[in-house]
Amino acid sequence: MSLKQRLVPYWLLGPGLLWLVVFFVVPMYFMGELALRSGSLTTGYTFDWAWSNFPDSLSGHTEQIVRSFFYAGAATLLALLIAYPLAYAIAFRAGRFKLLLLFAVIAPFFTTYLIRTIAWKTILSDSSPVVSVLQTLSLIPPDGRVLATSGAVIAGLTYNFLPFMVLPLYANLERLDLRLVEAAKDLYSSSRQAFLRVTLPLTMPGIVAGVLLTFIPAFGDYINAQILGGTQQAMVGNVIQSLYLNQRNYPEAAALSFLMMALILAVVTVYIRFAGTGAFMGDEDEETA
Amino acid sequence: MRGLGSRDNKFALAVATAVAVAALGLAACGGDTVGGGNSDEVSTAEGGKAAGSLTISNWPGYIDPGKEGTVAEFEKETGVKVDYIEDINSNDGFFGKLQPQLEQGESGGRSIFVVADYMAKQMYDLGYLQEIDHADLPTVFKTLSPSLESPGFDPERKFSVPWQGGMTGIWVDTSKAPEIRSVNDLFDPKYKGKVTRLDELRETPARVMLAEGVDPAQASAEQWLDAIDKLGDAASSGQIRRFTGNEYTEDLTAGNLVAAIGWSGDASLIENENAEWRMPTEGCTRWSENMVIPVGAPNTAAALAWMDFVYRPEVAADITEYVEYISPVQGVKGLLEKRGSELAKSEIVFPTEEFTRNCTGQITPPELERVNEAWQDVLTG
Repeated sequence: MSLKQRLVPYWLLGPGLLWLVVFFVVPMYFMGELALRSGSLTTGYTFDWAWSNFPDSLSGHTEQIVRSFFYAGAATLLALLIAYPLAYAIAFRAGRFKLLLLFAVIAPFFTTYLIRTIAWKTILSDSSPVVSVLQTLSLIPPDGRVLATSGAVIAGLTYNFLPFMVLPLYANLERLDLRLVEAAKDLYSSSRQAFLRVTLPLTMPGIVAGVLLTFIPAFGDYINAQILGGTQQAMVGNVIQSLYLNQRNYPEAAALSFLMMALILAVVTVYIRFAGTGAFMGDEDEETA
Repeated sequence: MRGLGSRDNKFALAVATAVAVAALGLAACGGDTVGGGNSDEVSTAEGGKAAGSLTISNWPGYIDPGKEGTVAEFEKETGVKVDYIEDINSNDGFFGKLQPQLEQGESGGRSIFVVADYMAKQMYDLGYLQEIDHADLPTVFKTLSPSLESPGFDPERKFSVPWQGGMTGIWVDTSKAPEIRSVNDLFDPKYKGKVTRLDELRETPARVMLAEGVDPAQASAEQWLDAIDKLGDAASSGQIRRFTGNEYTEDLTAGNLVAAIGWSGDASLIENENAEWRMPTEGCTRWSENMVIPVGAPNTAAALAWMDFVYRPEVAADITEYVEYISPVQGVKGLLEKRGSELAKSEIVFPTEEFTRNCTGQITPPELERVNEAWQDVLTG
């Protein structure tokens, strides 16, 4: 193969690469460069390879990082448990209401994220009907509250990212060949077995995609913790916001953002390995082989 | 990547490495600084005939933005189109958001900000504000209250014009806890999870010190840190529900609170007839907020015209009637009496010296960076 021939695939990748460079590499470069500066607002921030920003940005913030993992993980799990039956019902049971139901899933996006989250503040306020029902059912103590608790933040995250879970699952379930389920039943499997051994494995790509689309933004979110949380619900996004806007420690904020990105990348890599690369890449033949 | 052989993988790796090395190389030569203020000479806002459009950034509930309100009146009189945005929720937060633009000599299209004394000074020192020629503001310097003519942070009023003043004290829901009178009461376990405090460094720890008999103006960094620790403990035990900016008004409206540390004039934002602002027994924080003209502000002529307009006693009286804060304009009280307004009798709108005798100004702590870091750690608990 001549050099020219070998370069062809890269030329074809050109537009995509250009997009990545402009919208990912360049911002990353500026953030990386900022993360290695030191100084203060009054003296200015000078570039001097200040690697210490990285360990400094972590110190005292491990609690918020662990909390972010827990909140995002809980929200992702809840979203999956809600979205799977929902997507399944829309795909197979909705009949002529299919499009309407799909529209209903997306409809909240017609209002901004912020307004929707603030609306939950009213819905969950201490004297709201929702809270008194929960109190009557003894799900929370008689003088308990929902707002400004971890529960409220997780619920907010679940609600806000639910469509990101429903849509890939729906797309995946829609394509499911029901004859395979029928065949399983013909071979005397129970409905449960058919689901576990046929439907679930075939919808793994949708689950993996949904989990990633939900977990990653939920981990970095700060709006839900800020609006629905109290004093002990800050997530790592809130720490980065405070470093940027309130302490104006731009280098440490950039360093922490970088570390969180690396952490997420590591977690996602492990997850994809675990969930089966083949299924994620859409190589279903490899999975069944 | 299945289609690519190992040779191509190596090639891709080489390209990636080259890009990374080039990026770091650029970083090493780039040594320009970020921050550090504008070194250019301070400019003076240009006056002239008001026309065109004007963008003003202010706090929520600080004017009547309605069809019959002050903004509309100004638009009608001058023909200037005003974009009045209520996007300031905390001094630090607003500064943090705008700072990168201000550093570039831009104001994000805004011609007026309204910020606290210390923030106005901080912005001026960093070269982010334009100076103001008194000749452009005849009404302001005729009607400005004498006590505000020469404040410590800007003795000649070179870059700031007072907007409104106010006090920080306790908003109490009298149907739930009529007995709350001091900031100390908010630590009482029976109000657990039912009180909020402000997220401003110069407000909240200082209020705690004052309640404990420490004068914040004389306090050492250690005393500030002690007060911050006490607040941190109250936050982690769940005593304090949230740290807020203006949002405490929403929680009071929704009936989520028995009390909140808050600002004296926020009645217009609180829809709860049992909510009452109280002067803490130990005293309050007295503050004022100022209109400033940032660098890069478009249409400074209209901005100056706006400043002069709101200093007409009739206009100032309208503003006071709506916002219920302390007006910097002389003669407002008399006008409100003439209009038969109840506010003319209010100690919150027209505080006497006796009423505010124990109050202090907004105080910046010593060792600001260290104290602020501890405070931010409490806020993001």
